[in-house]
Amino acid sequence: MGFPEHGTAISAVKRVRIWYALLVFVIGIFGVRLFYIQIIRYDHYKQAALADQLKQEQIPATRGIIEAHEGDSVVPVVLNQRLYTVFADPVDIKTYKTDPSKVAAAAAQVLGGSASDYEKDLKLAGTRYSVLAKKVSQQQRDTLMGYRFAGLYSEEQDYRTYPQSALASQLLGFVNDDGVGEYGVEQDLDTQLKGTPGELKAITDLNGVPLAASKNNIQKAPIAGNNLVLTLDLGMQQQLETMLAQGTKDDKAESASALIMDPNTGAIKAMANYPTYDPSQYQNVSDPSVFENAAVSSPIEVGSIMKTLTTSAALDQGVITPSTTFYDPAHWLVDGFNITDIEEDGGPGTQSIASLLNLSLNTGATWELMQMGGGQLNAKGRGIWNDYMVNHFQLGKQTGIEQGYEATGYVPSPRDNGAGIDLTYANTAFGQAMTATPLQMGAALSSVLNGGTYYQPYLVDQTISADGKTTDTKPKVVESHTVAPKVGQEMIPLMQYVVDHHNIIPAFDQSKYIVGGKTGTAQIAKPGGGYYDDEFNGTYVGFVGGSKVQYVIVVFVIKPHVAGYAGAGAAQPIFANLAHMLINNSYVTPKP
Amino acid sequence: MGLQPGVRRRPAYTPEAASRSNELGRRHKPDYWLIAICVVLLAVGLVIVYAISPALSASAGVSNTYYVVKQLIAISLSLVAFAITSQVPVAQWRRAYKPLLALAIAMTLVAIAMPVNRDYPAHRWVRLGGSLSFQSVELLKFALLIWLAGFLAERIKNGEISNVRRTLKPLLIAMAIIGLGIAKVQSDLGSTGVIVLMMVTMTFVAGMPFKRIMMIGGIIALGLILAIASSGYRRERFSTYLHPEADCKNSGYQECQALIAVGTGGMIGLGLGRSVQANGYLPEAANDSIFAIYAEVFGFVGVVVLLGIFTALFGRLKRIAERAPDDFSRLIVIGVLTWLSVQTLINIGAMIGLLPLKGITLPFISYGGTSVVFVAAAVGLVFQISRYTSYSTLSNNRDTEDRSSYDNSRDRRRVRGAYHPHTGSR
Repeated sequence: MGFPEHGTAISAVKRVRIWYALLVFVIGIFGVRLFYIQIIRYDHYKQAALADQLKQEQIPATRGIIEAHEGDSVVPVVLNQRLYTVFADPVDIKTYKTDPSKVAAAAAQVLGGSASDYEKDLKLAGTRYSVLAKKVSQQQRDTLMGYRFAGLYSEEQDYRTYPQSALASQLLGFVNDDGVGEYGVEQDLDTQLKGTPGELKAITDLNGVPLAASKNNIQKAPIAGNNLVLTLDLGMQQQLETMLAQGTKDDKAESASALIMDPNTGAIKAMANYPTYDPSQYQNVSDPSVFENAAVSSPIEVGSIMKTLTTSAALDQGVITPSTTFYDPAHWLVDGFNITDIEEDGGPGTQSIASLLNLSLNTGATWELMQMGGGQLNAKGRGIWNDYMVNHFQLGKQTGIEQGYEATGYVPSPRDNGAGIDLTYANTAFGQAMTATPLQMGAALSSVLNGGTYYQPYLVDQTISADGKTTDTKPKVVESHTVAPKVGQEMIPLMQYVVDHHNIIPAFDQSKYIVGGKTGTAQIAKPGGGYYDDEFNGTYVGFVGGSKVQYVIVVFVIKPHVAGYAGAGAAQPIFANLAHMLINNSYVTPKP
Repeated sequence: MGLQPGVRRRPAYTPEAASRSNELGRRHKPDYWLIAICVVLLAVGLVIVYAISPALSASAGVSNTYYVVKQLIAISLSLVAFAITSQVPVAQWRRAYKPLLALAIAMTLVAIAMPVNRDYPAHRWVRLGGSLSFQSVELLKFALLIWLAGFLAERIKNGEISNVRRTLKPLLIAMAIIGLGIAKVQSDLGSTGVIVLMMVTMTFVAGMPFKRIMMIGGIIALGLILAIASSGYRRERFSTYLHPEADCKNSGYQECQALIAVGTGGMIGLGLGRSVQANGYLPEAANDSIFAIYAEVFGFVGVVVLLGIFTALFGRLKRIAERAPDDFSRLIVIGVLTWLSVQTLINIGAMIGLLPLKGITLPFISYGGTSVVFVAAAVGLVFQISRYTSYSTLSNNRDTEDRSSYDNSRDRRRVRGAYHPHTGSR
């Protein structure tokens, strides 16, 4: 090889320069492009970056626990366990080229279970949230997340645990997978129990770990939810549930509800329904109706227990006295229909208020309504009775108890609708053509027996906030004058009379205690009109006390199949068992 | 002229003698600017790798110093490569092109024969055991550089540069083989682009008529279209290139994340050690995508400086090419210039959405051993050639530049035994 021929060399130099000029030109274009991206489009990319990099998440607050009384102590009924949900974003797994088989193998090793199942979850199409495992312990979660698989995430979740197992489940409710309270106290006081979630706003790495370098991180600590102490007495609750379950079975009934409340405060001492469910296994419940606390959510036509309130209203109106007697014709023709009594009541004759209640005379209750109207079924009587039902006894509206799905019940309007309103109202006097829940009946009767104060029934005795401040619930007076104080004093012996004449075995020692009650055998409305001939609901309202009424008891038995009438045959035995239980366990202070 | 005692006379330099010995002529001070620029670029790369090392090692689950140590090892190896290529005379490299090319082809075949796995997702790596591996295509670039320079210089000498059968045909065949082996089998369109453009520019500088060059260009364009159309993977890449933000979560992910990194850099950047995108968002943050991280960290100002440094490097190479003592040297230098510049532009172009994304490193800056070592080897050749640059080619050129800018002119007198046959003729 020799020296370059100059002609070639010159041309070569020229060509080198052409190539270099082209290069510099392209670099210039790159510079312009960079100016466009970095300066002109800066805001666009900044936004796009934040959308990826800025993680905004709520830090869940610890949910408040729920406790209740047991004798003189307070014991927990609902506690928390902090566990983790491990999930994958299958799109991220793909995007970040994470090897699903590797993740699956690690998951199987740490969490147990089969790697092939996990692999399926990791490859799940059509979702960005594929749950691999729930209720994973912190240790397991830390081990698995320690591998830092891109696309695999975990989130913490508080799970409820129930040291008293299924006790009071329907009034407690449960917390669903999204951390939201459903049914019962959990639903109604969800906001209080949930607390205030904390906030985390930070530039993070791909796995969501905040970068120390970013300056605009915001972190707000969560505020734990309030702890609640319920008014329940767990011993009483336990026995009520046992007796109610046994009673429902004995009655061959579809279901049953019962409650024991303090008529002098409105505090619920025990409340349950049967059948019930285990809240720790709520996912396995096939019939969601068992989630409901029927004692507050299922109003029915209450039947003859209503006569306690009709009589109280008539006494309060002064149109009758406890010693009033009246001629009972054993039937009234109202709006073309005959209101009659049952055959055993013996036909027409003179009756007292005590026998009216004891024999459960529908004609007697109708007569009381007539007295409120000045001797006739009329607008005046309807108006007065409606005022008692709605404004005094608070029927037809929610009591406001701390329960989800509380029903209002139904009270018909007293206005003449041209379709037999007198017949309708005569029916309401003995508990038909209107509906109420056990709780509404218990709270209304309580107001009569305590001398006229309607307390809002309640379940939460104390609220303890995150900072340790304890707030006692003060009984809330809804209506201070449902009936005159003397009406309560008059109703007590009348209802004791009923108990004493219903052949309850063992009998109650009325010299030491006061035990009163009223049965109800309620007809069940057919859908589309009329009533069933062969199905009834058995109801009962009663009380137990010493020198004053200490407990009001309500029992509803739905569609029992027993000999005799549903009220006396199905509901009354459960009431009797509960009343005996209260006395035998010294829940009742006897007369001095 | 008689012998004077104590003075050894060198034999007179003649073109024939130079030709025989394959010497390039007198030796003078090399182009230290070239080395200085390369060192600056290496330092920039090392600083970036060091700064994002905590983020990278957190994602990969290795120690904090893992990447920096590996990069330092690669730089040490590249110093060895540089030392060898800058010392072993280019003439010897030229003579050794056959075994070199044979070795490169053998290694390429070995790489193709090796099964792919998760760590090595394409047939590109020759695995030597343990974590030791290298990309065969880097060796191939080096071998092709020398073969091409030799081949073209030979054709120039024989006046056959315009000969279709003797020059154009072998080149097109070589291109076809490379297209098949590297682009198709190894799926390495980026490196194919570098090699093909190396061939084109070297042929161009060698003096092939424009018409022929255009023809080659046409054939390449056709091959490119075929290459893109023939593989679903490349079709996806290409459509991602056309609409990168259409599918940021899947196929366009890396493009989008790269643009986000570059865009968030703004005017002055987030600052060293404050990169967010290196924390798992941007794939290949230390190697293929390192420019995006650089742009995020140093902003537009930093990017202009970096482009400036690269332009200076290319300028240095251009200078040496202009002053190369012979065609072979010039072609070597122009080949290296094309290698470095095209690889740089393909890499940066991908990061700023101007070119489809290619798995290709940014010379000197990117983390990744093979690239640094062979780039250093190539620069070593140029460095050696820079010792022998001559002004003569330029002086005979009508558009001679300002003489004072010819920095080696003053130094040449200091080199012992300096002699230049053309000095007298000027």
